[in-house]
Amino acid sequence: MDMHKRVPRNIHREKVVLTDWRHTVGRVWHYLAAYRWRLGIVFLLTIVTTAVTIAGNRINGIVVDRYISHNKLHLLLVVCAVLAVMYIIASILTYFQNAIIIKVAQATSAKIRQAVFTNLQRLPMRYFDTHDNGDVMSRLTNDVDNINTALMQTFVQLFTGIISVIGMGLAMLILSPLLTVIALLSTVATYFFSKAIAKLTQKAFMTQQQALGSLNTQIEESVSNKQLVQLFDHTAATMQTFGQTNAQYTRAAFRAQALSSIIGPFNNMTNNLAYVLITAAGALSILTGGHAITVGIIFTFLIYLRNFTGPINNVLDLINTLQLSLASAERVFELIDESPEQDLPTAQPVAQTTGHVAFEHVSLAYETRPILTDINLVANPGEVVALVGPTGAGKTTIMNLLTNLYPLKAGRVLLDGQDVTTLRRQDLRRLVTVVQQESFLFTMSIRENIRLGRPTATDAEVEQAAKQAHAATFIEQLPAGYETVLSENAHRLSQGQRQLLSIARAFITGAPVLVLDEATASIDSQTEADVQAAMTALMQNKTSFVIAHRLSTIQSADQILVIKAGHVIERGTHQSLLAQHGFYAQLYASQFDD
Amino acid sequence: MFQIMMQHIHGKTRLAFFLAPIIMLGEVFCDLQQPTLMAKIIDSGLAKGDFNFVVQHALLMVLFAILGLIFGASCGTLGSYASLKMGEALRQHLLKVALSDRQPGGLEPATLITRITNDVTQMQNLVMMVTRGLVRSPMLLIGGIVMSAIVCPDLAPILYVIMPILVIFLVVIVRRSVPLYTQMQQSVDTVNRVMRENLQGAKTIKAYVLEPHQMTQFNTDNQHLQQASQQATLATVWLSPIIQLMLNLGVVLALSYGGSLAISQTISTGQIMAFVNYMIQITTAMVQTVNIITSFARALTSATRVNAVLAAEPAEQLPVATDTVPSGSQVSFDQVTFGYQQSAPILNQVSFELPAGQWLGIIGATGAGKSSLINLLTRRFDQYTGTIKIGGVDIQQLSLAAVHHKVAVALQDSQLFSGTVRSNLTYGDQTATDAVLTAATTTADATFVTQLPKKFAAPVEQGGKNFSGGQRQRLNIARALVPDRDILVLDDATSAVDQTTNAQIKARLQQTRAKRTTIVISQRVTNVMDCDQIMVLTDGKVTALGTHQAVLQQSAFYRQLVQTQLGDDAHGHA
Repeated sequence: MDMHKRVPRNIHREKVVLTDWRHTVGRVWHYLAAYRWRLGIVFLLTIVTTAVTIAGNRINGIVVDRYISHNKLHLLLVVCAVLAVMYIIASILTYFQNAIIIKVAQATSAKIRQAVFTNLQRLPMRYFDTHDNGDVMSRLTNDVDNINTALMQTFVQLFTGIISVIGMGLAMLILSPLLTVIALLSTVATYFFSKAIAKLTQKAFMTQQQALGSLNTQIEESVSNKQLVQLFDHTAATMQTFGQTNAQYTRAAFRAQALSSIIGPFNNMTNNLAYVLITAAGALSILTGGHAITVGIIFTFLIYLRNFTGPINNVLDLINTLQLSLASAERVFELIDESPEQDLPTAQPVAQTTGHVAFEHVSLAYETRPILTDINLVANPGEVVALVGPTGAGKTTIMNLLTNLYPLKAGRVLLDGQDVTTLRRQDLRRLVTVVQQESFLFTMSIRENIRLGRPTATDAEVEQAAKQAHAATFIEQLPAGYETVLSENAHRLSQGQRQLLSIARAFITGAPVLVLDEATASIDSQTEADVQAAMTALMQNKTSFVIAHRLSTIQSADQILVIKAGHVIERGTHQSLLAQHGFYAQLYASQFDD
Repeated sequence: MFQIMMQHIHGKTRLAFFLAPIIMLGEVFCDLQQPTLMAKIIDSGLAKGDFNFVVQHALLMVLFAILGLIFGASCGTLGSYASLKMGEALRQHLLKVALSDRQPGGLEPATLITRITNDVTQMQNLVMMVTRGLVRSPMLLIGGIVMSAIVCPDLAPILYVIMPILVIFLVVIVRRSVPLYTQMQQSVDTVNRVMRENLQGAKTIKAYVLEPHQMTQFNTDNQHLQQASQQATLATVWLSPIIQLMLNLGVVLALSYGGSLAISQTISTGQIMAFVNYMIQITTAMVQTVNIITSFARALTSATRVNAVLAAEPAEQLPVATDTVPSGSQVSFDQVTFGYQQSAPILNQVSFELPAGQWLGIIGATGAGKSSLINLLTRRFDQYTGTIKIGGVDIQQLSLAAVHHKVAVALQDSQLFSGTVRSNLTYGDQTATDAVLTAATTTADATFVTQLPKKFAAPVEQGGKNFSGGQRQRLNIARALVPDRDILVLDDATSAVDQTTNAQIKARLQQTRAKRTTIVISQRVTNVMDCDQIMVLTDGKVTALGTHQAVLQQSAFYRQLVQTQLGDDAHGHA
């Protein structure tokens, strides 16, 4: 009857493995407990409304037997009036029942979402490196949605279903055991038929799913690489392979769907048969002089029948949906339980630094694989340190340790002589500004994006920073200027412009230590000069670490560290390194010479 | 929408498509017989004590039930057949259009993929619905009303009161809830966006200690979402109690009014019972009809989206186009202009002559038109003015296949297909021998392949995820070398390869330079400086063309690039 409460009826129930469902249910309850009184009311309302339905149907039969058959018009009208009032009240109660549960469910899922998001803020960088964004997103969205649906619909429906089945079953049994058996038979037949069909179609459904997977992969790959398909004149071959998979999918899907399309009509038939049997058996029983069954009882049964088979089949589906939701809840709680990065209990607040940085015998490993080995370096306040080396040598990783993004295996990183792991992370990160190769820009105005560097900055300070970063010119040329809202991932800006914005953001922090990850060659050359000038300006009066790709940066550095495979293999100034005729000289020759 | 559907329903499928709803009428007819027969059993059989009458009519009901199953199952089978066959044809057609689309500024790949997958599934469901639900529910609804009026004309007015009230309620509730659901969807999008950005920008958030800021932002958005979804769901919460109530009140009316008529001997108990049963059928059918209309609307959106893809279907090739591959391999552009808007052309009057076997280096800023130039040369887009010739023949006279058999391209974005290393390398020439593959991988410095346990048979995962960026780029170059075309284009194809390797690849390519005309696109001066000709592109215009020394003289932009990339001391180099 409910149009917005449809439960997907999969005849192939997904197999769910729950590690500890009691524990998960307990944790969901922890969120629900605040609403236990309201839930109690819902519980009572459900019982009342279901009872009204069952009683109402029975009264219909009684009306037929006692009043209509015995010509009691006055009583007939009175009872009907009472019935009408009962139904109106029940409808209002149903409304409240649904409204309460919706509010509770929405509030609970909002709370859960909040809890997940809060923990996500605290997770260590390692978590984001090792987890697929798609998977985390799916937990945050689909899985939380599943919990919401379970609370809002499945739960109530399941409860109503069980009460209806028990209540109606009892009522039917009391009225007529014979007719009850007939009604039950049809239900049992429906259940076993669905199961048998499910078993028959299982293989076809699996083939269908596999073919669908390969169909989707082929669509995805060929469409995303359309240019390649065209360039290599591969369209005909692609279409042929696709045609085969497509036909294979259709065959499997037809085998599966044609068979399962019988389930609906079959259920319809069993219902109709039960309808006949109840009418006929009832009629014959009356004709053969039995007093157990009356026309009114037949009437009641015919209505019960329409309300009985539905809930029983529903209950089985709902239990499965509930299991799926519990699995979702488990995945969400996993994310809530991920251990956050935590400052040491003794962590020191720190507000200022001279900018003296030292790395002492620093090593880092991921599982057993060494990433950095015995890194040593000292940077005095105001110095520029350049890190050069092949891609993947570990340059960025070294710099990540300065802001305590990853735990060390051995050694110490010191800021003003203090081990950075003993400092409060937030304080440390406010003292060290990082400009990544691709700093992230958020969906908000350019002004707000720059201000993220220091939330207390005034509008004038933001504009000043943009000027310093050579970004003011292009910003002012935009129709909405500083108020231009960047679309997701800021695709409207060029890579160079995005970089200028992130430099502006770095300017506004005013932090004494700077880490600059220079973009590699493919930055667009138009703004190249702007970026260079902005970076040079940004490095003024700061201790700066530059992961360098540009000769001008490298030549002016106070010291250069050459990194290869996680080791510092050479160090010195540009001139002294060239004189060594080592790896640096070779790298320089290949990169900047021919 | 029906046009798209019918275009993809042919032959046997068409028969199934039209037969299914007709057969469905049979099932509806059988279903509608039950309450009438039941009434007869109660009234005639019971009242007159006619045992045989009861048995006969019961058997008739059984017969109708079984007939209903046969009709229903046949309709379902035919419907699945029609919908799946339509889906198959539509997918095939859409993919073909998507792959042969040569319009600039077409749909994004992600959008296309959704349309070929999800939207086709929606259309498939629609056909299923048209063949089954669209007939069944409305016919049950109408049939129910007609039958109840026939069986019990005295009670029919009850329906005329109940039904309009119900319809009005349904319309009001649905109309009120639609804008609320739109609002809810917007809130959902916002929350999802904040979450997605939080994941993508995790490092920036940590670097700038933006956690408190993000929390506040999320808090607000999450609360909005909670409110919006509450409002939307609460708006429809009346729906089921109202339907239930109308049905129940109908039953009460049938009993009281019908009962009073029965007492005055105007109608019989069986008639009342039949009427009540029809009413239940009608209400169920009504709810289903509303559901079908809702899903119909959804499928309609899908149909519009699918249609947009089909609209891009290319016209047949020009009859003059020839499949004969021209023998020469010189390339020339003469006054070529190309752009989406007249006012801001992407390529503006580009002209150059590249003799066979020579190298051309193209350098310029992002968006200067470098890749567009290649797109025109390979006939990806045809909407340009001017003339492009390969081997002295206007490329508009050549078929696409002829052009692609002349020119091989290694794109900057080195995508691999899932399959094996071999299936990727032989993408342009399925008949290539191992010797050819080995030669190509050697030239492209992709010899790491021979160290893989399965060598050329080594699996490639979707997107080539099991290879590093550098490895992918080298396979990408090797793939372009396997078909051994006369003209090779390297579109910034070595950006992830380190400089030493890059130089080695170039050297090996140059060993065959007498044979192959080569175009190199790059932003690195070192990659183009020793080409026979260097072209500097600025905002779609050729601002300099000639040797390294000549271009150094002509172009301030080039001088600046040389200075920033090679340093001051490299000025007079090369």
